[in-house]
Amino acid sequence: MNTMWVVLGAAGVMAISALATAWAQSKIGTAGAAALAEKPELAGTVIILVAIPETMVILGFIVAVLIILRAGAGG
Amino acid sequence: MIVPMARLRILGPRERLADTLRAVQDIGQLHLAEAAPRAGVQPARLDTQGERRRGQLARALADIDDALRALDAMGPGTLAAAASVADCARWARLANRVRRDARALRDRETALDEERALVARYREFLLAVLPIVRKVGDSARLTSHAVVAPASARATVDALAASLREQLGAEFSMTTQQLQGGDLAILLVLPTSFSAKLEARLAEARVPEVPLPEAYRGLPLQDAVPKMIDRLFQIPQEIEACRTSRAALARAHGPELRKAHAALVDWLAAATAHERCSVTPHAFTIEGWIPEPGVPALTKRVAELAGDAVIVERIAREEWGEADAPVVLSNPRLFRPFESLIALLPLPTYGSIDPTPYVAVFFPTMFGMMLGDVGYGLMLAGLALLIHRKTAPGSLMHTAAEVAGPCALFTIIFGVLYGEYFGDLAHRLFGINPIIYDREQAIFAALAAAVGLGVVHIVLGLVLGAISAGRKHPKHAIGSGVSALMVLLVVAALMAAFKVLPAALFTPAVIALLVAFPVLVFTEGLIAPVELLATLGNVMSYARIMAIGTASVMLAVVANQMVGAVGSTAVGLVFALLFHLVNFAIGLFSPAIHALRLHYVEFFGKFYSPGGHKYEPFGHRTAPPGAGLHGNAV
Repeated sequence: MNTMWVVLGAAGVMAISALATAWAQSKIGTAGAAALAEKPELAGTVIILVAIPETMVILGFIVAVLIILRAGAGG
Repeated sequence: MIVPMARLRILGPRERLADTLRAVQDIGQLHLAEAAPRAGVQPARLDTQGERRRGQLARALADIDDALRALDAMGPGTLAAAASVADCARWARLANRVRRDARALRDRETALDEERALVARYREFLLAVLPIVRKVGDSARLTSHAVVAPASARATVDALAASLREQLGAEFSMTTQQLQGGDLAILLVLPTSFSAKLEARLAEARVPEVPLPEAYRGLPLQDAVPKMIDRLFQIPQEIEACRTSRAALARAHGPELRKAHAALVDWLAAATAHERCSVTPHAFTIEGWIPEPGVPALTKRVAELAGDAVIVERIAREEWGEADAPVVLSNPRLFRPFESLIALLPLPTYGSIDPTPYVAVFFPTMFGMMLGDVGYGLMLAGLALLIHRKTAPGSLMHTAAEVAGPCALFTIIFGVLYGEYFGDLAHRLFGINPIIYDREQAIFAALAAAVGLGVVHIVLGLVLGAISAGRKHPKHAIGSGVSALMVLLVVAALMAAFKVLPAALFTPAVIALLVAFPVLVFTEGLIAPVELLATLGNVMSYARIMAIGTASVMLAVVANQMVGAVGSTAVGLVFALLFHLVNFAIGLFSPAIHALRLHYVEFFGKFYSPGGHKYEPFGHRTAPPGAGLHGNAV
């Protein structure tokens, strides 16, 4: 039972952070593509802007790993 | 590094302006600049004749552009000697004639393409109904109608057919065929006397009749169909004939038009440059920038080409601001491909730091840390080598291959350290173990290595920021240095607290932090503590190196597990190979994007000063059509 909650917790962290990243990237990506159509020289800035929300899912991943390892459910 | 620039002023008698400007254009090294305003000095203007000629040449250039586009014959032209007025008139006439002929051929090709597409769309249907149409054509009592209905109108068509069959009996028949795209092509055969009523019934049901190409409208269906089928075989030949004629036109006039294009662009650039010069009633000045090492050569060549009456003098460093100087990056051969990654951002300002050498070291390192697999590294090296050989030097793909080479090398090095050869394949087959840590298991070690690299990278960025600000903003430079020191102290305190370093270091580190804090606030203001927290957050952002690396190794391990897990070994092997390919593709993009982001956001944020403008020397240019008129006139 305890293991189930640990796994669910880790999955929840991943899912929420991934959804948040996906939502943010969808908005930024759309606007970025529109901006690039008019100003291709903004490519570098757009790459940065699209990559910024990925921090959320990466930190979510690390927190999920920590939850599993700390709870000893990894093995 | 950013090449040191010199600002020069060329002075001479006014009547020598045109000659001198031509000499400067021939040398092609001076980035022209507006002269500083002085009493009695005014910008040089073209005279009335020059203005008129500029208008004529701009129009002729537009015509030549159009003609070359219509011929598909764009490309760099060879620059001939200075063009005469007669040349320009001849080129304008030639451009007009060629443009007219090429456009006519193009329009004909387009019309033929459209006809072919239309006939091809109904080809199968027409072939299927041809025997019926011919049979009906022989009968005076019967007529045929071809209609097209959308797939959704099938029920309406069926109801209409049932009604007609009931009304007309055996004299009515219907043939249907589904077209590409889902529409329904229908041939209705019925008594001629009923034809008018049918059209009314079709209109009521809103079913459109087959739109015959214009050339066949008005012909009976039994005559039009065979002609359309025949045309399908004739049209490609006619299109080919048009293309051959256009290619012949391009061969006959393309080189001359490209030469004309180059000459006109050159003349117009010189006209624009003329207006950037300054004159007094008796003298002229031309000002501009040149990389410092090129000054003696330029001085000598101006003297040779323009004569002794023209002199070149260096403008003192105190008289110009760094913001005005153009930027030229110059790096060793090995680092140069990484300039393309800097080119995605605005150029650094003159006098700031060129980040290329740091990117050339850290980008492949981060990439290797993330992908870290000998197998993938070898695949990347092979791919980079192939692209490097197949592409032209200077092209985007060629540069990408040059960046990919060091990335592949570091991927192999880290692969050896992690003991990864297509994931855990070498461990399974040969028992090869990691040298430093196993990324599958040692999550904390991987995290520590990633954040450790982050500390080094961020501290380096802060130190570069301190150096960059040193001369102009000493207070900010001290603040940047103190920030770097505090990041190191925070890391030392944490490591001491977790007993990675001797615990005795904890108290001195905290005391040093407390001493550094007021210095930071004094130098950087009250916002400094918030910025310090943001900097520590930046360090944590490097954890993505571990996260992406772990994801990559896990995918590779899953790929290896497919052998034996899915039915037969052969099927499992195919799945495993496919999965490795997918992982490799992800492994190319994801580490590259994230390594870039770590540089652009976390690293550059500490010292990079964007806003420099490109060094564009005034010279001869054989620009391809459509590149604009003023590109080399600065």
